[in-house]
Amino acid sequence: MAKRSVWSDNRFWQRSAAWVTGFASILLIWLTFDTSAQISMGTDADLQNGVTKRVPAPTVINYKITYEMDTVRGHEVPVIGEKEMFFGRDDWSEEEAAELLHLGKLGSQSKNCMNCHTLLGNGAYYAPDLTKAWLDPAWGPEGSLQSMTGKSSKEEAMAEFLQHPSQYPTHARMMPDLGITAEEAQGLVAFLKHMSSIDTNGFPRNFGKIKGAVHGK
Amino acid sequence: MMFEPFVDVVPSFFGWLNQGPLTLTIFLHTVIILPMFWIYKQEKARIEREG
Repeated sequence: MAKRSVWSDNRFWQRSAAWVTGFASILLIWLTFDTSAQISMGTDADLQNGVTKRVPAPTVINYKITYEMDTVRGHEVPVIGEKEMFFGRDDWSEEEAAELLHLGKLGSQSKNCMNCHTLLGNGAYYAPDLTKAWLDPAWGPEGSLQSMTGKSSKEEAMAEFLQHPSQYPTHARMMPDLGITAEEAQGLVAFLKHMSSIDTNGFPRNFGKIKGAVHGK
Repeated sequence: MMFEPFVDVVPSFFGWLNQGPLTLTIFLHTVIILPMFWIYKQEKARIEREG
């Protein structure tokens, strides 16, 4: 009788497949819970006590956000600095900030920003990546986009642009008018400011090389 | 340097494990491939017993 090979034996492949599938399932379930610790939002108290969270509390909109190079991690990491005015206030409460952010998140979904832009790695590259858009020096005090809107602060300039994007020549592919209201625009800017404070392990890779994006340098 | 201090924002087992591509590869090979050798040997012994 010919010698039977293990390689042509069904049971070997069945058991191997069961092991790999079973192990991968357990690993993925574990990773799900492991990730939830990484992405859970910090609290206002964390911000005040200087506790670093990958996703800070919504009240981060009351603070100045900059980045600095972390040589050990090999990329820029967010630094939550001193208080900063956001739409004329730096005392947005946890509830107010969370509500504003929620409005911005819903707005970004209903207007389908991701159809053209990228947010935290999700979306398209037809229009600029918005993950760290808040830090774009073009919206800063000497930036061309801020002066274009005639507003005196970054958040007001961004909100103005969002309400009437088709009036402002920004990009070869201009943003269409999406009927964003003043309130929604405020929410969207808060959403973008909060997003820029999220530690994304240096994503997007090139933003730190943009002049002015890190500590205004 | 072969070993770097663990500097992740929120420490976790997988963060520690996946500091570089090789650490994850070694881990996955250990837990997936090595048991397959064991399954192979068991099946071989069974075939020899039955055959």
